[in-house]
Amino acid sequence: MRLFILLALVGGMLATPALAQQAPYLPYYSPDTVRVHEMAVAHRAAVQKYLVTPKSVSGEYKDHYKRIAQEACADVYNTVRYSALVDPVLNPYAQRVFEQIRKANPQLPAVQLVLSRNPEPNAHAVGNSTVMLNVGLLARLENESQLAYVLCHELAHIQYGHMERGLREQLTKIHSKQVRKEVKRIVADEYNISSKLKALALGLSLNSTFHHRKYEKQADSLGYALLRRTSFDPKQAYRVLQLLDKIDQPLSPEPLPLGQTFGCATSPYPLPEAPAKSKSIFTVAAPVQTVLETTDTLKSHPDCAKRMRYLSELAHGEIADAPAAPAPEFARIVAMSRLESVQSWFDYDCYDHALFEALQLLREEPQNAYLRSVVTLSLYELREHLLKHDFYEVVGNVSKHHPENFNQLLTTLYAWKADDYKGLLACFAQNGSPAAPTNEYALAANYAASALAGEPGAATLKQQYLANYHDGKFAKLLFPKPAAPTKKSIH
Amino acid sequence: MFVKQTLLAATVALAVPAALHAQTQTLDNISRVYRTAIEPVYAGNEVKGYVTYTKGDKADKKNDNFLLDFYDQDLNKVSNITLQKPAGKYFLLRNAFNGSAFAMYYYNSKEKTLELETYDTSLKKLGFKAIGDLNRGDMMATQQSFMTQGNDGEGGGGLMGGMTLFPVPNFGFVRNSYEGMMKGYNLQMYDDKLTPRWRLSSDPKSKFYETVSLTQAVDKYILATVLRRDGMMSKKINAFMVAIESATGKKVFDVPVETTNTEQLSLSSFTFDPVKREFVAVGEFYKLNDKPFVNKSQGFFIKRFSEAGKPVAVKNYGWHNEVAALMPAEARPSQEDGFVNYTQSIVRGSNGKTYIVAEQYKVVGDGLGIALTALGGGASVSKGKIANMLVFALDPDYKLTDIKFYPKDPSVAYVPPGAGLMGTGLLGMYFRQSGQFDYQFTQKNDANSQFNVVYINYDKEKGEATKKVIGNVAFGDNGQFKVDKIDGTSNATASFLYPAKPGYVMLVDYLKKEKKMGMKLVKLNI
Repeated sequence: MRLFILLALVGGMLATPALAQQAPYLPYYSPDTVRVHEMAVAHRAAVQKYLVTPKSVSGEYKDHYKRIAQEACADVYNTVRYSALVDPVLNPYAQRVFEQIRKANPQLPAVQLVLSRNPEPNAHAVGNSTVMLNVGLLARLENESQLAYVLCHELAHIQYGHMERGLREQLTKIHSKQVRKEVKRIVADEYNISSKLKALALGLSLNSTFHHRKYEKQADSLGYALLRRTSFDPKQAYRVLQLLDKIDQPLSPEPLPLGQTFGCATSPYPLPEAPAKSKSIFTVAAPVQTVLETTDTLKSHPDCAKRMRYLSELAHGEIADAPAAPAPEFARIVAMSRLESVQSWFDYDCYDHALFEALQLLREEPQNAYLRSVVTLSLYELREHLLKHDFYEVVGNVSKHHPENFNQLLTTLYAWKADDYKGLLACFAQNGSPAAPTNEYALAANYAASALAGEPGAATLKQQYLANYHDGKFAKLLFPKPAAPTKKSIH
Repeated sequence: MFVKQTLLAATVALAVPAALHAQTQTLDNISRVYRTAIEPVYAGNEVKGYVTYTKGDKADKKNDNFLLDFYDQDLNKVSNITLQKPAGKYFLLRNAFNGSAFAMYYYNSKEKTLELETYDTSLKKLGFKAIGDLNRGDMMATQQSFMTQGNDGEGGGGLMGGMTLFPVPNFGFVRNSYEGMMKGYNLQMYDDKLTPRWRLSSDPKSKFYETVSLTQAVDKYILATVLRRDGMMSKKINAFMVAIESATGKKVFDVPVETTNTEQLSLSSFTFDPVKREFVAVGEFYKLNDKPFVNKSQGFFIKRFSEAGKPVAVKNYGWHNEVAALMPAEARPSQEDGFVNYTQSIVRGSNGKTYIVAEQYKVVGDGLGIALTALGGGASVSKGKIANMLVFALDPDYKLTDIKFYPKDPSVAYVPPGAGLMGTGLLGMYFRQSGQFDYQFTQKNDANSQFNVVYINYDKEKGEATKKVIGNVAFGDNGQFKVDKIDGTSNATASFLYPAKPGYVMLVDYLKKEKKMGMKLVKLNI
């Protein structure tokens, strides 16, 4: 009997991953916030302990240092508390890679990795014990070795104590006799104080940028050395920088097939009366860019070309500089991370980004039920914000810094009227197979579509959702309690 | 961290949602805000941007830095101009854009000069002109301009006087000034570089006191209303419709409105129909011997004139005849209650339909005012009451086809002493210029196919605790009338409402404690 139970258990353990691989992934959600709160408290305490106010400095320096330390503590608490992703797949995966690096580099201090829901492709180190990895970066990598290099690079920042050094260097500069004298002189001058102080601040900022770029080079170098001690492929370090250099570009530059997605016989696309975006009357030429601005400072990851050259030298040309097909396990991690990123955009109320990313991914997986749910929910929320007159809070402006296909979506979103959404969603439902409400996302989306269409079934779906997911992630969003009235008037 | 500064990255991580969104602008370090700190910039019918005028730091011993910041219609910052002008003594009266140049109109209280500066669309300076030797009338009007400041695209000045700068597409800008103690007026047209083009003055031999209010640059004309009084203190004012050729400054049309043999007419609006090539006057009419306010108006009229100034047609739309048949039932009680209509705007759609936007008001006795008058005080015995909005739709042949009624809470307006001698339209103009109507502005798109009337509805008598609603009535070539109401309540220290690009309004919230001013473009559901 015991043997039978044991065999059954083993069988079950073997079967679970196989089943899990086949089940469509849904972004992680838990109403329980105790674990992330405890994590946040621990990371805050670590930063608090790390940033000790220096003694032999001026009072102003001390006050400034304390203020920054307090802000850093609050930031790390908030980041962990509100964005730590403690799911059962991605987080353990990232932690395993992180642990492998730490084991291969026992000299490193005790550092913990926090996987963040942040959809921006980035990672950073805080204090001497926290590395933050955004799921948005995980979604853009090609293999485990690249992830390892990202983590090694962050660990290198910690090993060098870059946060503390950067802070001290900056404060030493700001509170130096020379700068204080300069500030005094400007204030005593009485005239054009604002522009003179701005110029001084710009100088300090450039100085800081210079130092931080120096730190990046150091972290690349030490990160590479840490990576080499592991079993991961060091050639991928170069490829990471290559990816980062282009990371602001979308997955695909192609325009989104909006007509195909949201148009149908009953509601042809494009919609009538969509006004053309009016042109600006201003013909002001863009300001002449400074040397610093003509480099790639505005990119989310500047200086990559320079860093790639440096790393290539360091690796004696032993580099990977072409895309490689990811191993199935990593491909699945990337796919999950992309879905988590989509959900993060949605959770941040950035419905324009959520819709854009979901539509991009739907090209590859047109019938992905989760992505279809996000599209439906995003349209529902966009319309809700139109009706509430705070559309500006959830849709960004067209900008030359955005990819062209994202700007096209934004232009479209500004043209759509609240009355259009019913037809758009009806066509979207027609153009794909409807998702059975077997999970929270699909049920929420079914409710949203039904409520938007004004169908009587919406009330039943609402009851069903609240009964099944009382603390569900969409409960507050879809069924908000009425807000208390405020005061003051418009003049 | 991987690339950027650690502390910054932590902050950025949390700031992701906020940082990505525009159609908004937040300005920091703002210690005081006036409604006029932000002015919309119009090109034709549409708002194409905004300019803010703020005082910066000291430039030198005698001058301050004044900052002009320009934003486009999506609230993207375009550029800024810093002016070094006499400390604390340099005020922006108006800005104007005529399609090819911006003009800024300042008052330099140190030099006692009015100053004009023009810029092209790249904000390159085109011209500068200082106007000195201001007479008492000009000085009074300049002071008055601070009170009535604001570009609403529909002119300014008028009854109360004021210094305006009127943009005329393809020609330049017209500046008004006064003769003596406002006995007469002068209009000076400048080109974009501020070179004088023509000048038009009231007849020095005229026995009347005359003021002019430019209302519209349309086709080849500049339209104006001229108010003529017997004497400076006379409260009996007659309005005249005037059209001036933009190219030459020649007055081609100067017709009185308020007198006919059969009824008293009160002018509300004067426009030009470029399709039919007719001047069109709209207002209300009274029985010949009736007294405005004591007696009800009999209806509204539309009077059309040829370009040569010959009357083409006059049509009355009596409340009890033509209008009654179409008046919605819910509008009747207010009509019976003695409310009259002030025409806030008249727009003509590209489909030939004319829409008249009106707001109801009436004058009622004020017990306290009567008592104070009896005691020898100069208080007004009356107060105004502002009520509902109405839109009258007329087909291309000026047949009344539809009346829409939009109820709102009544609010109280101040009536100046002696206002009983004014025509209804003039008192309405007073309410309008003193900002007492709930109507805010009418927005039009360049194609004249979509219009949006914006008003505020809140119960001023009940005070601040009442809910404020920004009402939008939209109509146009699609034949639909739509209402969209924005909840205007907020926790801001002060909130302001401005015109915006078609389909939007701009709300500005000022938070005094945080010294922040937030501008946001609100998309309308119209």
